[in-house]
This record gives sequence, C-alpha cells and structure tokens, in this order.
Amino acid sequence: MNDALTAGQAFLAVMRRDLHVYLSYRTRLVSQVLTALFSLTLFYYVSRLVHVSGFRSHAAYFGFVIIGISLIGVMYSCFSIPELVRQELVAGTFDRLLLSPFGAVRSVLAMTLFPFVYSFALSAMTLALGCLIFGLQLHWATVPLSIPVMFLVLLAFLPFGVLFAALTVVIKQGSVGTSWVIALLSIIGGLYFPVTLLPHWVQTAGKLQPFTPATEVLRHLLVGSQPLTPVGTALLRVAAFAAILLPVSVVVLAHAIRVGQRRGTIIEY
Amino acid sequence: MTARSLEVIEPAPLKTRARYGIDLPAAVGTPPPEAAPLRLRGLAKRWRKDLPLVLDGLDLTLEPGTTTWVGGRNGAGKTTMLRVAAGLIDPDAGRAEVWGVAASENRPRYQQLVSFLPAGDRGLYARLTVRRQLEFWARIAMVPRERFRRTIEESIETFALGELAERRVDRMSMGQRQRLRIAMTFLPAPEVVLLDEPLTSLDTEGGLLLQDAIGEVLARDGAILWCSPSGEHLEMDFDASWTLQSGRLVAA
Repeated sequence: MNDALTAGQAFLAVMRRDLHVYLSYRTRLVSQVLTALFSLTLFYYVSRLVHVSGFRSHAAYFGFVIIGISLIGVMYSCFSIPELVRQELVAGTFDRLLLSPFGAVRSVLAMTLFPFVYSFALSAMTLALGCLIFGLQLHWATVPLSIPVMFLVLLAFLPFGVLFAALTVVIKQGSVGTSWVIALLSIIGGLYFPVTLLPHWVQTAGKLQPFTPATEVLRHLLVGSQPLTPVGTALLRVAAFAAILLPVSVVVLAHAIRVGQRRGTIIEY
Repeated sequence: MTARSLEVIEPAPLKTRARYGIDLPAAVGTPPPEAAPLRLRGLAKRWRKDLPLVLDGLDLTLEPGTTTWVGGRNGAGKTTMLRVAAGLIDPDAGRAEVWGVAASENRPRYQQLVSFLPAGDRGLYARLTVRRQLEFWARIAMVPRERFRRTIEESIETFALGELAERRVDRMSMGQRQRLRIAMTFLPAPEVVLLDEPLTSLDTEGGLLLQDAIGEVLARDGAILWCSPSGEHLEMDFDASWTLQSGRLVAA
C-alpha cells in the first residue's frame, strides 16, 4: 500500500515538474489562448460561408467544428509525448528516469498527465470562449457526462503517443511522422467535416482508429448532434481501442527501452 | 593519494555483514553471505562488430565501506563500465550485481541501491529550481513519504545549496550545477555510488562536501566507485586503485 502511494506521488511529481516547466515560460499560456481565440474566429466566419446538407444551420456546423478543434488539441497533446521523450534523451534526464526505482516506462506514462490535463483545460476554455463570444449553444443537460467520456477518450488516444514515444527511443527523432499522422487522423476522424463526405473506402479504413467514434460521442453530448452510430456502440469502440491498444503500447515501449539497453543505444540522442 | 590493492583488504567481519539485513533499505532484505555491495563478473561489451571489445571479461568487487578508483586513458571504457554497473546498459556477457541482485532480476530494487553520477553537466531540468529538481528526483527515487521533506532539507544543507535553492538551473554556474548533480546522486542514500569524473567544475568547497558525502556512504558500509582519467582527485585514501586497459583492470 505504501509503495503504491509512493508510486502515485512519483506520477504526480512528473506532472508537477511539467507544470513548473510550463509556468516558467510566461507567455505560453497567453499564446495558447490567442491561438484558440483566432481559431474560433476563423471557423466562426467559415461556418457563415458553408452550406452542408448535413447541417440545419450555420450554428450547427460551428458547434460541430468547435468540438473538432477541441479534440485536435487533445490529439496534439497525445502526440507531444514523443517530443517530450526526445527532449529528455537530449538533456540526459531520460537516463535519470531509467536509473530510478520508478523506472522509465512509468515515467513516460506519467509524462502524459500534464499534457492531457492541460489539453482538457484548453478544450474547456475553447468551449467557454465559443459560448461567451460566438454564442455556441451547449447541451447543458449532457455536458457533465462528457467528462468521464473525455477520460475514456484520453485513454484511447494515449497509446498512439506511447507508440510514437517507443519509436523515439529507437530512432531518436521525436516528431517524425507525427505531423502527417495528426493531419491524416483529423481528416478520417471527421474533426472538421462529417466523415460521410469521404469516399466509402476511406470511411471503412477510418474505422481502424478511435477518433471518429470519440468525436461523435462528444459532439452528441456537448452540442446535441446526431451520431452516425448509436452512442453505446461508439463508446464501446472507444473503450475497446483503449483496452487493447494501451497495454500493447506499454509493452512496445518497455521492449524498445530494453532493446536500447541491450544494444547500448539508449545512451544515444 | 595513497592506494591499496584489493588483496590487502580483509573480508568484512561476519558481525558487520549480519547487520546489513537491518540497516540496509527494506528492498535489500538479507543478502546472501557471499554478496558484496557491487560485483562485476566477466563483463564484456563491444560497441560494434568491427571494433575491439571495450570491456573484455572485466572483474571487480567492491567490499563494504571501501572506495575504489579506476583510471585509464580516454575511451578506455571507464564510462561504459559505470553504465553497466549502474544498470543503464546491458553487457554482452557477464553480470553486474548489487548485494547479489542483478538489474535484470529486480530492477526497482537494483536502482534503489545504486546511484550514478554521469560525467558532464547533463541530467538536469534547466527550467526547474534546485529545490524542485531535488523534490522531483526524490519522488522518482521513491523516497518514502515520511522521509521525503527531511531528505530534501538534509540534501540542501549537506551540499550547501541553501542560497541556490530557489534558483533555476539555467541561471547557475557549471560548478553549482555539478554540486546539485552530486546532491541528487547522494539524495536517496544509496548503498553503492558510481562517480564519473565527479570533480568536473567543482571548487574546493564542493570537493570537500563531496568528500563528506562519501564518508557518510562508507560509514553505513556502502561502497564508492570513482572513475577519472588521471589520479588527480581529492585528498582521499582509496582502498583500491585500478587502471582500465584493453578492457580489463590492472593494479594502478
């Protein structure tokens, strides 16, 4: 029990460390708020222009896209993990994590906490700005339900970051592939437009990722849009991705570190 | 510097060994009677197939309460030996064990007992203050909750970091950073401390603080392995001195 508590505190210590590093860059928060604000403004006016048959009004598309914008922040935070690992490798702090009783695998998993909490807060802020400035109508009755769903969504997104972190440990490059993967997922995940607009085969291929069902469920809960698949089914898909991919990604990360130790390349950066 | 070879060191008395079961961290338990703080047996490591072995059947045993110095020219393999001993990289052959335990058998336990100060000035978070750095390291070193606060304060005091406690690392001199790195190395009260060129950038005061910290490890029957290219170090009496040549240790 004591060991579990100590390990829990080590997890939180990693998050606290990342928070302190974040706060040491004083302009970063302002920059993030401005980025969110300008994105909202951009899509607010884009929504005035487009007429898509699937949307009954401009406001409906704005509500649709704002959830996509919020989730892409979560996606970015997930794919920031490899870059964080890369920074640790370069700074020599990864060695310290590896040589600690807490261990490198748990440390990498703990590194996801701050980006996720932060992206969660940023998503909430984006929605708040959307409501206050651009008149976004939230479905308040189901908004509280979105919080546990968001947690599940984070668990489903996490393995992607962990798998890329494992790749970083091996090839020593953090952002290789992440940009195009994010761009691809934002297309097939339906973050900016409904996936029904995509060719059928792309829609089928798109079923191999949890972003589409996650986005659909959150849209349903937050802005009341009708999901293409029943909410329960979509939630089960998200949960299945989390349940299968999370342990797989942890095993792959542990294996990548062990291989690095065996070959001696773990010390390289 | 005065040096003695391992041959003249008498085995630790049985009474002292029996004490380890009580004094060592709970993770150690009661080590087997033949166990030593650190034992490297037949270590071999080759970086590439076309390169010669950097470690070639290297053997080294650190006895309780002793200091050992290993020298050798640049590239002789001192850092590789320390990295293997620390559990950072695996040898191609051979075994490194601390109190009879290899890292592959019980990594958390191994890492609890060994602490490694790598050469250079890496391993610090530039944007964190000294105190936050120590707090972070104490957490991932799994220092028990009841000892956590006291450990941090003692570390700051032992290494005279009080004035620097709230200063960010990227605003500190190289010598100050080295003092912090050494503080982090000794913070979890390890049984075996591996030091790779610890005097880099360190002033006289820092050197003396290091010497005191080493004294504390020895007082609890731990062991120190110190590597540097030449024999220029503190006014310390090493219990054993070796030179690493062609992948093996020869008496210095």
